[in-house]
Amino acid sequence: MAGPSRPDRSWLWQGARAALSFPAWTVALALLGVGSLARDVGHPIGAAMMSTVLIWAGPAQVIFYAGLATGMAPAAIAVAVSLSSIRFLPMTMSLLPMLRRPGQGTGEQLLLAHFVAVTVWSETMRHLPDVPQAHRVPFYFGFAAACLLLSTVATGIGYHLMATLPLALAAGLLFLTPIFFTLSVTGGARRAADWLAIGLGFALQPVMLAGLGDGLDLLGVGLVGGTLAFLVGRLSEARG
Amino acid sequence: MSLADAAGSALWPYVALIVFGFLPSEIWRVLGVVLSRGLSDTSPILVWVRAVATALLAAVVAKLVLNPSGALAAVPLLARAGGIVVGAAAFFATGRNLVAGVLTGEALLIGAAWWVGQG
Repeated sequence: MAGPSRPDRSWLWQGARAALSFPAWTVALALLGVGSLARDVGHPIGAAMMSTVLIWAGPAQVIFYAGLATGMAPAAIAVAVSLSSIRFLPMTMSLLPMLRRPGQGTGEQLLLAHFVAVTVWSETMRHLPDVPQAHRVPFYFGFAAACLLLSTVATGIGYHLMATLPLALAAGLLFLTPIFFTLSVTGGARRAADWLAIGLGFALQPVMLAGLGDGLDLLGVGLVGGTLAFLVGRLSEARG
Repeated sequence: MSLADAAGSALWPYVALIVFGFLPSEIWRVLGVVLSRGLSDTSPILVWVRAVATALLAAVVAKLVLNPSGALAAVPLLARAGGIVVGAAAFFATGRNLVAGVLTGEALLIGAAWWVGQG
């Protein structure tokens, strides 16, 4: 099989450059802590780094290792991990139609989906409309692979590093995920419905946590807040 | 090899990772692939799906800020929420510059965490 064609390679590289210009570093720094969590439960560094390659979801990795550390039953860990990753369903569904190309097989679709994570999703959704349809897949792979590789290295570094960090810096690393999610998602908001979804998402979370408990709350917020925002958006567009 | 046999072996961290970490998380991405079949990228369903994803992500942020774990829990709520608000303000004031937004929010959060640690 021939390697990627010249234009594909150049778009792959452009994607990687867009990631390395900043977003990839924030994900990587945010995943430093996962390395130290893995060490705390006595797992080898290879497993810690593999958790980033395979799970590729900071909150799920934290739940997995924190669950092991507190002696949770493995089945309970699996359920908690799964509930925390529900966001990947709507994210994957909305991204993949933008990445279609002729002759795309299930294997490529699953690989594209595996790379889906908040940073990759929100940043590539922002960039993709400016990328010609034929070059979107290489751009996406370049962006995502740069994020994943850098984060995997960071997980390995964090395995040895984190215990020695002062509290303020450790807190700063944990804060990277919420601050980056916020900017990335609000940065991609264009329509009133987007803003409404963001506002409702924030506002409904405590309500849903109280009503549905820790786990199903995120799904509840997504369905209720997202549907309300969608309906209001449709109504206002129909009227305006 | 059964799961019980694996529990004591050197392979256990990897088996546990795949069975209790990777598969339960990856299932949503796989389901996303299946359910996106036949959806065109102009379908109104996608507008709804995107709104659901957006609300869900905002909820993730709210959860991380309101119920933090680890070192972040030692920082007062006001500083956590303030870091988000100030970071977002800097982001939009600079024409949606991610670096400016993240660094401003982080500066406030780390500054507050350091100050709390002193007192």
